[in-house]
Amino acid sequence: MARSDDAIRILQGLLVFGNVVIGMCGIALTAECIFFVSNPHGLYPLLEATGNDDIYAAAWIGIFVGFALLALSILGIVAVIKSNRTLLLVYIILMLITYAFEMASCITAATQRDFLTPNLFLKQMLERYNKSEAVNNNDKRMTEGVTKTWDKLMLQNQCCGVQGPTDWQEYTSVFRTTHSDADYPWPRNCCVMNAQGSPINLDGCKLGVPGYYNSNGCYDAISGPMNTHAWGVAWFGFAILCWTFFVLLGTMFYWSRVEY
Amino acid sequence: HPHSRPRHSGARTMLPLLLLLLATAHGLDKLPTLEAPVLASSSLGGQTTASTFVLEQPRCVFKNVQEDTVIWLVVADPRAVPNFTNSVEPGGPGREFQQFLNSSLAYMTLNTTILNYPCPKNPGDITVLRVGSETGCATDKARPTCNGPLPGPGPYQVKFLALNGSKPVAQTAWSKPITLRTAQPSGSIPVPGSGHSAGMIALTSILSILFAILLAGLVAMLIWGSDASSGSSTFSKPEAVTVRRYNTHHVYDQPAARL
Repeated sequence: MARSDDAIRILQGLLVFGNVVIGMCGIALTAECIFFVSNPHGLYPLLEATGNDDIYAAAWIGIFVGFALLALSILGIVAVIKSNRTLLLVYIILMLITYAFEMASCITAATQRDFLTPNLFLKQMLERYNKSEAVNNNDKRMTEGVTKTWDKLMLQNQCCGVQGPTDWQEYTSVFRTTHSDADYPWPRNCCVMNAQGSPINLDGCKLGVPGYYNSNGCYDAISGPMNTHAWGVAWFGFAILCWTFFVLLGTMFYWSRVEY
Repeated sequence: HPHSRPRHSGARTMLPLLLLLLATAHGLDKLPTLEAPVLASSSLGGQTTASTFVLEQPRCVFKNVQEDTVIWLVVADPRAVPNFTNSVEPGGPGREFQQFLNSSLAYMTLNTTILNYPCPKNPGDITVLRVGSETGCATDKARPTCNGPLPGPGPYQVKFLALNGSKPVAQTAWSKPITLRTAQPSGSIPVPGSGHSAGMIALTSILSILFAILLAGLVAMLIWGSDASSGSSTFSKPEAVTVRRYNTHHVYDQPAARL
């Protein structure tokens, strides 16, 4: 039965190769998700205040799934080479569990990304930025987080508001209750600053002279990193799962051909 | 006899009547009315806010006035425009900023000498006046000519008035009504419920189908795969099979057979 043996050898080789790829993808997934969880753009407080920070949960799951994929791929390689039925069965079942977790992570990341619209951030900014009275400690913490994040965003990205400085004029806000419209048509960080951190021309900023205030909105600076985060977790996970699907099918077929 | 054109008898009464009509038309002021103030260019982000607005300075508008003339800005509710008199002094009764829209329907502010509006203006300079920028004196009754923030969205009409001492010497026409911005409540911003993008739906459905296939495969494998060991297409495990060499021991058997 040399021909059948050759076919089985080829299948073994393919399965080992498949598991090597899964292992490497597992390491990549872990690294990517650690990067996202470390909050490199400082946008986590905005998400936390929306009450919907599930893309971070998805990234956390991704870290552990990546480790699991690495460990299981090594188990898979050993099981295929030894052709041990028990090991192969353990491998298949554990891989299916990991598959289910990774599926949850991908779907969560994709669904939550759809939830993060410009209006959501606009409403949050107007209702929380520079809010002076807090309901409770949790509310206070989230308000401080939102205020600090927006101040940093506007300063570093030279932008103002979500769609532009007119956001502060078109809508009422908590900021407006403590800062009069004549003194602060928009927050101070919307002014172009010099190296020392003060506006280069405060009157020009209040008048809205182009060049002395930031006239573009910050939404691009928010949605860019969030899109990368969500799509990175969702679609890379999707690619890994597609590959794993074929490897698992092959392993199931291989298991059914191994005799005790 | 003196050269005089023959006059119609009715012409004698026409001229005084005409003069009377002209006098009532100009409100008895008889001041030259120059071009009206305009809002600053809309490229300024703060052209109108909720309580301030920005006007172009009246450069090259007041010609032929003396150097010590003071130019005032009059801000008025449109109801006060038809009966407005220039003779009330700035900050006087009926002209206090702090009582604007209560007992005063107009006020005067932003006074400056004509020397601060040189003509012609340097091209590229931004020459504007921000009405409503002084918040410090908004409630200070001692400053009735305060340039304080406007109390509501308006509309308002403005004009410039040139005073020499307390005598009006020139004025501009009233501007078109200026309406300020009204802010909508932030609670009215619609935050739509989850609208699912096509990508997310594709991802979810494909992954679900793949997972279902895997589970079905697992069940099939457990039910039918277990008895495949008796099938003909299985292969032996590549165990370490050692072939033991059997000595036939012919040499030892033969003496036993001869005995």
